[in-house]
Amino acid sequence: MIRREPEFHHKTRAWMVWIGIFIPALLTLFIAGTVLGADNSVCFSCHQEESLSKQDARGSKVSLFISEAELKNSVHGKLSCSDCHVRIKDDAHAEGGNKTAEKGVNCGVCHRNAEKEYHQSLHAKAIMKGTEKAAHCFDCHGKHYIFPQKNSKSMVHVSNIAKTCNRCHSDKEFVKEHALGTGPSPGELFKESVHGLSGGATCTNCHGSHKLSSLIDPQSSIFRSNIPQTCGACHPDITKHFLESIHGVLATRGRSESPTCTTCHGIHGIKTKVDPDSPVNERRIAMTTCPQCHAAELISKEFRLTTSPVKSYYDSFHGLSYRGGDAYSANCASCHGVHDIRPSSDPKSMVHKDNLQKTCGTCHPRASENFAKGKMHVVASIGGEDFGEKVVGWVRIVYILLIACVIGGMVFFNFTDWLRKTIERRH
Amino acid sequence: MSKKYLRLTSNERIQHLNLLINFSILVITGFALKYPEAFWASPIADVPLGMTFRGFLHRLAGVAILTLGGYHMLYLIFTGRGRKIAVDMIPGLKDAKDLWETLKNNFFINRPAKEIKMGRFNFREKLEYFGLIWGTIVMTVTGFILWFKEMWLMFFPMWTFDVARAIHFYEAILATLTIIVWHFYSVIFNPDVYPMNWAWVTGFLTEHEMEQEHGLELQRVKAEQNGKRVEFTETALPGSGRVIPMPKEVGDRVFSFQRFYGAVRNYNESIKCWVGN
Repeated sequence: MIRREPEFHHKTRAWMVWIGIFIPALLTLFIAGTVLGADNSVCFSCHQEESLSKQDARGSKVSLFISEAELKNSVHGKLSCSDCHVRIKDDAHAEGGNKTAEKGVNCGVCHRNAEKEYHQSLHAKAIMKGTEKAAHCFDCHGKHYIFPQKNSKSMVHVSNIAKTCNRCHSDKEFVKEHALGTGPSPGELFKESVHGLSGGATCTNCHGSHKLSSLIDPQSSIFRSNIPQTCGACHPDITKHFLESIHGVLATRGRSESPTCTTCHGIHGIKTKVDPDSPVNERRIAMTTCPQCHAAELISKEFRLTTSPVKSYYDSFHGLSYRGGDAYSANCASCHGVHDIRPSSDPKSMVHKDNLQKTCGTCHPRASENFAKGKMHVVASIGGEDFGEKVVGWVRIVYILLIACVIGGMVFFNFTDWLRKTIERRH
Repeated sequence: MSKKYLRLTSNERIQHLNLLINFSILVITGFALKYPEAFWASPIADVPLGMTFRGFLHRLAGVAILTLGGYHMLYLIFTGRGRKIAVDMIPGLKDAKDLWETLKNNFFINRPAKEIKMGRFNFREKLEYFGLIWGTIVMTVTGFILWFKEMWLMFFPMWTFDVARAIHFYEAILATLTIIVWHFYSVIFNPDVYPMNWAWVTGFLTEHEMEQEHGLELQRVKAEQNGKRVEFTETALPGSGRVIPMPKEVGDRVFSFQRFYGAVRNYNESIKCWVGN
């Protein structure tokens, strides 16, 4: 058979429907039974035999049984076998001794757009590089028993996608073989995530389907700068806030040090903020989530940001009480905001000097105008820039000297006293 | 027969117990904030609302100690015994001399060690008493700044608050170490009194203890009991105690009913004298 163009093909099908009403009716009169599946009957004469099998290149047994009833139920039930299996390359089907070299099935004949997208995908690129097991059409869609996407029996139905992807991406052997990373598989993490548990999103929502591509591909939906848009498909307000924040602005400009959604929320294992394992749980914000950058050399050099805010926070009343587990104590987000964090120079910032009284006032309702003045994040040091830092630094030195002298003197005096009394008792 | 000398009346012992409890609470709840990850802070930090309760308890104990301080001042002013304590507590040149002589004893410069007769409150006790007063004032002032920060920061800049925090912390270290090093040596680890000076429980010192640490006072009390006024004009018997007969020693036997009975009788006598004087 020759290849048909899809447009032509559809016309052909329409035409076949009309013909299919009359011709079968006529044929039924003359030949009992086998009318509609006329050309499939030849195939099924062998392939409905359940024990039919062959040996593949590796020598393992592959079943060649096809259930006719199931095939009829599938979305391709009305096609004939040869619509897809245009050439069958092995000896059993050799026609007149001409064994064809072409692979059996080409979905792209009908599904041209899908094929075009697929060819840009990471799976297709992997196949071109020679990776045997990278997903072909049938790996995700199935072979003979393909159902429409809306059908819950379909492998690509929204409820089954995670399962479909996990067949490879949660398979330890597969992951190891293809160097897809160590540690828990994406599927494992996703299963426990808020998206996995609620069923609100699945693999393809973020990764795309046919066009799914690598995170280093700037076109990819999971490329760094594209992540806010990808998440924004479901969380548009948050993305809007985030893109105006200092983090969002810098991330959009392509600064790789600037966080995007996943930096704080996690990737596959995103959890709600009330979950104690979530990085955005209030118990973890100031312990790990913000400090992962703001207490790290990572940004301190390039952005001239010091790590002192984290250190000074830990030593402040807020930080100390927070470290002890105080749920009411302010953490980073209490004063700086969450998605819309802005630099203090921005008049819209929660920590801009005009807004500080209000920000402090959320917890300290009696905070005066003077309350909000003065330097926060103070690091006591006699060489500090701020006058208060210097004073506190000096207080510290004076007190440490005082303690050393007084307590040291007491220890010394008591020791001599104890020594004399002990020696005297010896006699 | 050994005599006992009243050291602390029940009122004073309750004051001491009050201070002991509240000071301990302040130390634990205070340092639990500064070192929240420490193992001993886990009963506070690992309990839900633990840190919130910690703050409440710290303030409560602070107020309690302040109240105790106020009560103690009234006690010093309005009771005869209190006034006497205040007078006896005034440091003098003799205290410096006693300290000096003790040092010479300790360095074996005085050989044999010189017997030092000290007054009702020796230099160790005076140092500690004034240390306590100083500490209470500093901790109260800085503590109230930290507590009522909104009011304080209406009038003063933020850095004064930071200074108050620093002082509150370092003074706490100083106070705690003073108690551990100075006070605990005086009343526990000092070989003369080890395992403990029981006056804070019983209210009495033995004659031996009086001789060692308050020789001058012992002389005065004895002279007074003998009807000789040494240098005080009061007719009361401050610092004197009821004489309690001790049971006779019964060989090497560790336990005997006679000793046991004597101990019970002694205890009864102490209870009768609970109010002192």
